[in-house]
Amino acid sequence: MSGTAVGRSSAGRWDGLVTVVAFAAPVFFILVPLAIFLGYSFFSVHDGTIDRALTVGNYVRFFTDPVFLPVLWNTCLLCAAVAVICVLLAYPTAYFLTQLKGRWRYALLMLLMVPLLMSYVIKIYAIRSILGQNGFLNKALMALGIIDTPSSLFVFNMNAILLTLTLLLIPFAILPIFLSLERIPQILLRASDDLGASSAQTFWRITLPLSLPGVASAASFVFVLALGDFLTPQMVGGTSGFTFGRVLYSQFGTAFNWPFGAALSVILALVVIVAILLGERLGRGPGVTQ
Amino acid sequence: MTTFIRPSTMVLAAITALVAALLYSPLFVPIVSSFFTIKGGQVDWAAPTASAYTGLAGNGEILTALRTTLIVGFSTVILSVVSGTLLALYTHGRRRGRQLLQFIIFLPFLMPPVISGLALLIFFREISFERSLVTVVIGHTVFVLAIVYRTILTRLESISDTMIEASYDLGATRWQTFWRILIPNLSSAMIGGAILAFALSFDETMITILVTGTQTTLPVRLWAMMRLGFSPDINALVALILIFTILLCVLAARFLIPRQAMQAT
Repeated sequence: MSGTAVGRSSAGRWDGLVTVVAFAAPVFFILVPLAIFLGYSFFSVHDGTIDRALTVGNYVRFFTDPVFLPVLWNTCLLCAAVAVICVLLAYPTAYFLTQLKGRWRYALLMLLMVPLLMSYVIKIYAIRSILGQNGFLNKALMALGIIDTPSSLFVFNMNAILLTLTLLLIPFAILPIFLSLERIPQILLRASDDLGASSAQTFWRITLPLSLPGVASAASFVFVLALGDFLTPQMVGGTSGFTFGRVLYSQFGTAFNWPFGAALSVILALVVIVAILLGERLGRGPGVTQ
Repeated sequence: MTTFIRPSTMVLAAITALVAALLYSPLFVPIVSSFFTIKGGQVDWAAPTASAYTGLAGNGEILTALRTTLIVGFSTVILSVVSGTLLALYTHGRRRGRQLLQFIIFLPFLMPPVISGLALLIFFREISFERSLVTVVIGHTVFVLAIVYRTILTRLESISDTMIEASYDLGATRWQTFWRILIPNLSSAMIGGAILAFALSFDETMITILVTGTQTTLPVRLWAMMRLGFSPDINALVALILIFTILLCVLAARFLIPRQAMQAT
């Protein structure tokens, strides 16, 4: 286990130097910027210049101002809804994939992953044109006689953000669920079958509990990605679809308040950390203790 | 094993088809409009045209952005594969500090890109480093490093120590073992990681918007153009990128999937 091959060095002095070199770049380009960023959240802005006297004013403002907490809360609800819808669509899909054999299974999985690599900006634009007043969705609904006049229900509001983010993020839900389903030993399913369980019983009592870790990580994955996105709300949200990501981004543009933006980022990071830990904790649910 | 189609399987297949349709619908729109003109929200199916493609060839602004994107992509690939490999070699088989180093490497991947982007933006300003393509490449590398590192480390861990010991026993130096045993065994993981890095870099928008200088990459260019609506040649570009992406996917699959697929089935 310990010590391998190349990289093992006889002299301890060299080892120390190698360690310093290995840590240098990641620390300098990742840790230091994040640390400075954290520091910025304790600065303030006066007359367009940044005041470096330490203050918790930004955080006080966040928690006392009537605007920011509700925006954060609504954004969390929105992203949770996106995560739930993505999982509901992704689970049956991933389950179907695992029912396929060998080559087909991976070919179809690949097919479902291809849109992921397609330009994010273009997809947002295309989805907006589908959802818009003259878009395909309205045309289809009118052709089916569900509505008479084009609805503006799906564009430039929270619904539009919800639908767009769902379409964009489904692949991120499929993959972890697929991997967790695939990891379930076939022996367990056969044993369940041998012991007289119906296929529905096998699914509810064996497959589903054992795949919950995948579901949990899929949900937290989608939630985190949706939370951090500021492009989608900016593009399809209009004036009513105001999300936390947008508020944050605006601090570095129009509002020009970097320290407050940094404080908002710290809060965003905290929410993300909670979501990731929660996903991991829920993933270690009942099924795994065999 | 004979298979008969159960109703539940049919439902699953239908949902899968729906998901595939949903995922591909945003890709379908630009591709159709790259070949047909749209008037008043109606596609004119009667007259297919390649004018969008010829228009693209003359759109200097877009081509410049595409070139910039490729330069950034290749620089990111080289930087991330080299540093990812070195970091994987360093952490492999080492216990002290490994957790910490991995934690740092994974941070930008776990955090929303907007946080990494803003942190780098402020960082470059603090050290008075002019924003340019260099800062974009650094931003991209920071973002993709986790994936490249993980891909290479996974492969590194599957190489058995006996092979390396055999190399030493047969009198090879460390340098020879590195080049003749380790690198050839890692090469497919490195290529796979490189393709992933390139694909991620090619489409990276959120970090790029924040750390870019005057020159911009394609996604950021498109983002800026989107407010006004796209000209038809953008659709042609989208169609071409899609084909290119699928090719890239097939390539990545060739380098990354086979081993896992064989183990799984």
